[in-house]
Amino acid sequence: MLRSSLKGLLHRKLRLILAVIAVMLGVGFVAGANVLTDSLSSGFDKLFATVNENVAVQVQPDDDAADGETEPPRLTAADVARLESVDGVAKVHGDVSAEGVVPFSVDTGKAVQTGGPPSLGIGIDPDELEDPASIVRLVDGSAPERDDEAVLTKRTANLAAASVGDTIKVYVPRLREAKEYRVVGVLQYTGDRDSLGGETMVGFTIEEGQRLFYGKEGVYSGASIVAEPEVADTALKRRVAADLPSGFTAKTGQEATDEQASEIKEGLGFINWFFLTFALVALLVGVFLIFNTFNIVVAQRSRELALYRAMGASRGQVTRTVLVEALVIGLVGSGLGLLFGAGLAMAAQGFFGAIGIDLPDGGVVVSVTTVLISLATGIGVTLVSALAPAIRASGVSPVAAMRDVVKPDKPLRWLLLSGLLLAVPGVALIAWALTGIGGATLPVLGLGVVAVFVGVALLSPVLTRPLSGLVGGLLSWGAASKLGRRNALRNPRRTAVTAAALMIGVTLVSAFTVLGASFKATVTELFNDQRGADVIINTTNMQGPPDGRLGFDPDKLDEVRDIDGVEKAAPLHVSVAKVDGSDSYVSATDLASAKSMFAMTVESGRVGDLADDEAAVDKRTAKDNGWKVGDAIAVQPAGGGERTYRIVGVYDSELGMNGVLLDSAAAKLFAGDLANQGYVKLSDDADSDAVVKQVESILADYPMVTVADRSDMVEQVNSQIDIALNIFRVLLALAVFIAFLGIVNTLLLSIYERTRELGMLRAIGMARKQVKRMIRVESVIIAVFGCALGIGLGLALGVAVGNALIDQGQMTTIALPGVDLIAFVAVAVVAGVAAAWWPAFRASRLNVLEAIAYE
Amino acid sequence: MTATAAATAEIAARAEQVWKAYGSGETEVVALRGVSTHFERGRFTAIMGPSGSGKSTLMHCLAGLDTVSKGAVWIGDTQVTGLSDRKLTKLRRDQVGFVFQQFNLLPTLSAEENILLPLSIAGRKVDRAWFDTVVDTVGLRDRLHHRPSELSGGQQQRVACARAFASRPDVVFADEPTGNLDSRSGSEVLHFLRNSVREFDQTVVMVTHDPVAASYADRIIFLADGQIVDEMLDPTPEDVLDRLKRLDIGAEVEPSERPGAV
Repeated sequence: MLRSSLKGLLHRKLRLILAVIAVMLGVGFVAGANVLTDSLSSGFDKLFATVNENVAVQVQPDDDAADGETEPPRLTAADVARLESVDGVAKVHGDVSAEGVVPFSVDTGKAVQTGGPPSLGIGIDPDELEDPASIVRLVDGSAPERDDEAVLTKRTANLAAASVGDTIKVYVPRLREAKEYRVVGVLQYTGDRDSLGGETMVGFTIEEGQRLFYGKEGVYSGASIVAEPEVADTALKRRVAADLPSGFTAKTGQEATDEQASEIKEGLGFINWFFLTFALVALLVGVFLIFNTFNIVVAQRSRELALYRAMGASRGQVTRTVLVEALVIGLVGSGLGLLFGAGLAMAAQGFFGAIGIDLPDGGVVVSVTTVLISLATGIGVTLVSALAPAIRASGVSPVAAMRDVVKPDKPLRWLLLSGLLLAVPGVALIAWALTGIGGATLPVLGLGVVAVFVGVALLSPVLTRPLSGLVGGLLSWGAASKLGRRNALRNPRRTAVTAAALMIGVTLVSAFTVLGASFKATVTELFNDQRGADVIINTTNMQGPPDGRLGFDPDKLDEVRDIDGVEKAAPLHVSVAKVDGSDSYVSATDLASAKSMFAMTVESGRVGDLADDEAAVDKRTAKDNGWKVGDAIAVQPAGGGERTYRIVGVYDSELGMNGVLLDSAAAKLFAGDLANQGYVKLSDDADSDAVVKQVESILADYPMVTVADRSDMVEQVNSQIDIALNIFRVLLALAVFIAFLGIVNTLLLSIYERTRELGMLRAIGMARKQVKRMIRVESVIIAVFGCALGIGLGLALGVAVGNALIDQGQMTTIALPGVDLIAFVAVAVVAGVAAAWWPAFRASRLNVLEAIAYE
Repeated sequence: MTATAAATAEIAARAEQVWKAYGSGETEVVALRGVSTHFERGRFTAIMGPSGSGKSTLMHCLAGLDTVSKGAVWIGDTQVTGLSDRKLTKLRRDQVGFVFQQFNLLPTLSAEENILLPLSIAGRKVDRAWFDTVVDTVGLRDRLHHRPSELSGGQQQRVACARAFASRPDVVFADEPTGNLDSRSGSEVLHFLRNSVREFDQTVVMVTHDPVAASYADRIIFLADGQIVDEMLDPTPEDVLDRLKRLDIGAEVEPSERPGAV
């Protein structure tokens, strides 16, 4: 039995090849996401292992000590000297380093952006560079000897277009301005690497570094300790810890490595889930394709299966022959998918490199877990998809071997019922998730959407006749087209399952498109409102939430106020904070000015100048937290202590301002007192482009700061939305592509089934062109049917999510992207024509005589 | 019929020294060896012969479904041999009708739509009078809106016959049209074929191995080993059976006359 089913498999390999490809693509994405994140995290493991290679013990400030105060504790030179005398310590390097030290390009004068990795500054001991154990070495020039000299890593030099002898401008957060240095040397890491992981780094003398980063000489942020030979890291750590000043803790090199790597791995885990989500969508589409394949093949083989039964095979054996086929397809598909995934991951790494994202090199890591997950997913998905057809196969009666049994169309009533049983709770789940009851919104939303997909897929055979009839009616001219339409309607289940697979991708794309268009409309509405600020200064920060350490000096706004045409300007300080114990944001601003900039209206109390202990809050936040005027709230901004504020006013802003507002003076309590944003109101006749240019030049020394007027802002946000939409579309293209293969698959299998019919049609005078048109029309009907279902569902989903966002105040209007949706239908028509190409070619080339004789 | 009648009658289909070989070299099988014959308009001809005698091949070649290796075939005034696929398709569409053993109706179409299928493929206007004539002759008036799955085998084959005649072709080829039918349904179909020849001046060429079916024809051509070995006019089933027996014996007695190459 096993032998014959494997032989049968070989015989039918062409019919099953698209099922294998579907498994391969889905599993490939799963494997690719895993391989990519494994490879990247292996790269970061290696990176931090390299950094800590010669470090036995790392001394650094306590995590919580850094939280409570504005300034973390420092090690003094005396502390470092004392550490040197600890038993087993060979050498102590005092750490002089800071983040946010941003070089400016020598060429363009613009700040060098890394797009994620940190911008580092360090103090360098020239002796250290001579040490063979050092992980950096000079490849050009010399070490910095004077206070106005600096060295750059090779990548920094490349990005800033700087070479030895050039003068380079470097922004230093503590100074809140840029300072000029002469480049005296260029560094490389061991292994001839230009950077460890895409970061930039500027090296100063130890003393200059201490002044720049800490405000005084002779102090260090921490220390790296090298052990004497034969001294265990853990033992040394204990001895070092005993001798540390308060506020500091000691970690072994390994502990430090793990800690540093784990933060990044957390971020990578997010990337993994992001890709896996799309892989799961693709697999879901694959399920439809595989299900359809087995259903059709089983129907075509019913005579053969009946023969098995007639010869004494049990129902179980018949089911198993089908499942064995599924197993083989799953195995082959997953195996190929694994290879494909590894290839994808390699390509992605190559792509990152090509667009200048310098990631640490970790090779291509295919872990045992990845292999197991890929095989399990591929085989599992195939078996589950084939289960129903396999069970159906066992229901073939032995007598069917002897004659053509005409199977009447089963009534669709049960499908209708089970479809409703899935779709209705699915809709309920979506509604539940969107109203935010219970909190677990995203997984519930996902579950609801999947339930609706399967439910509608079950319902769609009922819709096949009316919907396909409608679509077909528009296409039916000539006999061939009419026959194509009849063929599409001939097996409502088959057509519906094929179309439903396409529906999934189209639904998601349409929903995202509706949301994207609505966000654009919201933004346009927001910025076109003449009441608000005309020019907006913003800080793009890729390295974490705002805490006042990145941005611009609010005093610079005095210069902005002097520009012709500027009526007023207000800074906005933003910091992450704990408000009554929960994570949130607080903003500090000059509320009297901000009030008009954000078109704020007073809901209750007083919204105007605030005293030191007063706060204002928007009505949504107030409602969510049950706050009202007169209540006290405890606010602890990052890097500062907790203070109590009294709510004196509740405001509403039509222009998107929200959260807890404090007076500008509160910014002193943030980790840094740089303004995150600035809002400028112009007089009616002012030239906003000219003002933007002037503000830009005033703030030129602050990296990450961008200046935009309303139209720039709309453009920027729109292009960000477009980028996000395009990323989603590209990732969903996989699901749509598998659905496309599904159409090809269904058509090919149907052609096998209708071979004799095709032979007859050709014999009685149907031209090849007509045969092709007949199949094309069937294909286009399936594609447009699926697309229409998808657009319908997608619109509903998009509008539902949009309304939920409006309720949460994140959006103001819902826009229906008519042009995009029409374009989707056009694409579906083209895809239908394309999907029909190969099946139509095959059908038109059938040998008429053989086709007529086909059993 | 006499030779003079043949000369004056219009020729609906004609084969001239037709050879047909399949495969090549060692595996070459010669199905037809220089067959020449013609089919007059308004006559019902049966082609008979034992299995492997080449009778189906001859019909396929005549109908433009298969190509000949040597020689030529005409339908009406059109030389079939050498036509492009497009012209062959047009020829089959406009000048030829088919009746198959397996009925081969489209399950998605009603009986009426099936009958009119060749016309709608051709985009031709339906000649209602002729359609009515055909439908009444096959006796399907009350079944026109049924799907094939709702018809009996005999009814389905009568639909297939009506389809073959719907476009008034030069010649209708029927390949074992009664092979899948019980004897009663079979005789209905054969009566219809004969009537359409007698009453409406149609031309039918039928391949069969059933002497009773063949006896409905005006003329029978006997094929053996790819050659025409005999002809018979106005046959009775007994004559046919008798002739077939002799053919079979002849084939067994002279096996040396089956060379493998042309």
